[in-house]
Order: sequence, then structure tokens, then C-alpha cells
Amino acid sequence: MKQKEPQRPFIEKITNDNREYVQSLLDENHRLNTQLASLKDRLTAIEEESRDFSARYVEVEQQNTNLANLYVASYQLHGTLDRERVLTAIKEIIINLIGSEELAIWEIDHEYGAMLLVDSFGIDQGRWASVPLDARGAMSLVALSGERVVDSDGVIACIPLKLDDRVVGVIGIFSLLQQKSGLEPIDFELFDLLGSHGASALWCTRQEMGVVQ
Amino acid sequence: MRKKVLLVDDSSTVLMMEKMILAKGPYDVIVARDGVEGIAKAKSEKPDVILLDVMMPNLDGLSACAQIRACEATAHIPIIMVTTRGEEENIETAFRNGANDYVTKPINGLELLTKLSNILGLAAA
Repeated sequence: MKQKEPQRPFIEKITNDNREYVQSLLDENHRLNTQLASLKDRLTAIEEESRDFSARYVEVEQQNTNLANLYVASYQLHGTLDRERVLTAIKEIIINLIGSEELAIWEIDHEYGAMLLVDSFGIDQGRWASVPLDARGAMSLVALSGERVVDSDGVIACIPLKLDDRVVGVIGIFSLLQQKSGLEPIDFELFDLLGSHGASALWCTRQEMGVVQ
Repeated sequence: MRKKVLLVDDSSTVLMMEKMILAKGPYDVIVARDGVEGIAKAKSEKPDVILLDVMMPNLDGLSACAQIRACEATAHIPIIMVTTRGEEENIETAFRNGANDYVTKPINGLELLTKLSNILGLAAA
């Protein structure tokens, strides 16, 4: 009996050591779980941030394209004093930057009380050669009011060509390319640019023709 | 490493737009105004990729594409068709004539840059 007594403290010590060890493992496990949860939260936040950056990148690239559109349109309109080239520039802007292959450009002739077709693409020229200013329809309305009309009376857009507040012509866009589902904000900016810069570019060609003649 | 891109289009508006978009990438640009000039420059300049408009005077883009493919010296050059017509039939014709990809007008800058880098990556692999 005397020989067995010293074993009890030893067993108790082992038991205590084991208990402490298990507790330390539990503590470590808890600490790691907390750390893991924190890392998961951080990962979620980083993924969210990454998505935001991607979306902003796409947005910035779209804005770059839009600005390039406006710059190219403006440059093309004012890059020449040749009437044919200005008209070609207007057509190319509508075809390639807005996305339409049915368009008409009229200038107002007050002597005849009508808008006379000066250029077009993809439409029946005979039908649209002359549009009386007192006719019913979007073109006459725009010519008289100087206000742009969109998606009305069978046309996608009707844009006044204005010098200051004077309407000198009208651009009609009759359809959009198949892959284009509708007008976008940049299209309206291009309409504004065509309305003012297109008008002044055409006016400048007339001045140039007068000087040359 | 910079890549040489041949732009073939009769529209100065489109050419200027494409140049502005490509200026953001590692690209050197050369230009041709119709299909005939496009084929000639493809042979003489050996570009890494060609952006080819469909509707052009003298020789349209689809015919030019087929001729570039038929020529041994240019057959390997990737071609991206640039088209106003997004109809399925037109796209199929472009692929039948040897185009690798296409973009529709109005050109989206990000889409064009992505397709260019994809095609050049594939071509380099």
C-alpha cells in the first residue's frame, strides 16, 4: 500500500496537464475560428471592392469612348470648309457613331417655305426631297419650334440645325441599326453637337463658297 | 511588346475613332481606305491583326477577307470584321470568309480592346 500512494499525485498531475492542454487547444481553436471569420469578412469586402472597381473601370472606359465620340464628331465637322465633306461628316457621325442607316439632312429655304433635302442615306430621296414648313409631321414641327423630337411620327429623332436660335435645317433619323436597342445618353449629346456644330459647319461652307465665287 | 494593327475603312470618322481607342493600348496603327489597299498593306506591312470594315468601295471587306486568307503570306493574320450589320446571316458570312471575330458599329471601345487582346493572345499562343 505504501508503495502505491505516490502514484495518485502523479495521475492528478497528468490529468491536470491534460486538462490544461485541452483547454489551450480549445482556446487556440476559438482564436483561429475568430481569425477565420475575420478573414472571411475581409475576403468578402475585398471581393465587393473588386467588383466595384471592375464596374467603375467599365464605366470609365464607356465615358472615354463617349468623349472620343464627341471629339471625333466635332473634329470631323470642323475639319473642312468643303460642303460635300461636311455633309459626309454629318452622315458618317449618324451612321457610325449614333448607329443609323436611314437619315436625311434638310436645309430650310424660306423663299420656298420648305425644307429642301441636301443629303441623305438609305431613304427614298424623292419622297423626302421637299418638306413644306406648314406640313404636318415631326420635321415641320422641329423646323418651326427649334425643339428636338424623339421617337415620334415614325422617326427615331428629328434634330434642329440651329445658328444661335435660328433654325437653318433639320436632320431626320428614321431607324437604328438592328444591334442597337435604343437611344443612349451619348446619342443625345451627339444630337446636341450635330444641332449646333453641324449647323455652323454648314454655314461656314456657304460663306466659303461665297468668298470663292 | 507593341503590336501592329491594320485599320481598313473608307470612313475617316471610323478610322479616327479606332485610332483614339487603340491609342490606349500597345498598338502601332497603319491605315488603308478600301479593300484593295487593305490587301496590299496586309502583304507589305505584315500586321499582327486587321480591323476590316465590311462596306467599302473598290473591294468590300468580305471579299478582301477571303483574299487575305487565300494568300499564303497573309493567311495567318487574325481579322476582326467591323460591321454596321449585326444580323446573324452577315456574321456567318464573315466567319465563312475567314474572319476570326467581329465588332458592330457604333464601336464600343472596351469591347474592341478586349477582342483585340484576346485575339492577339490566341495568336501568340
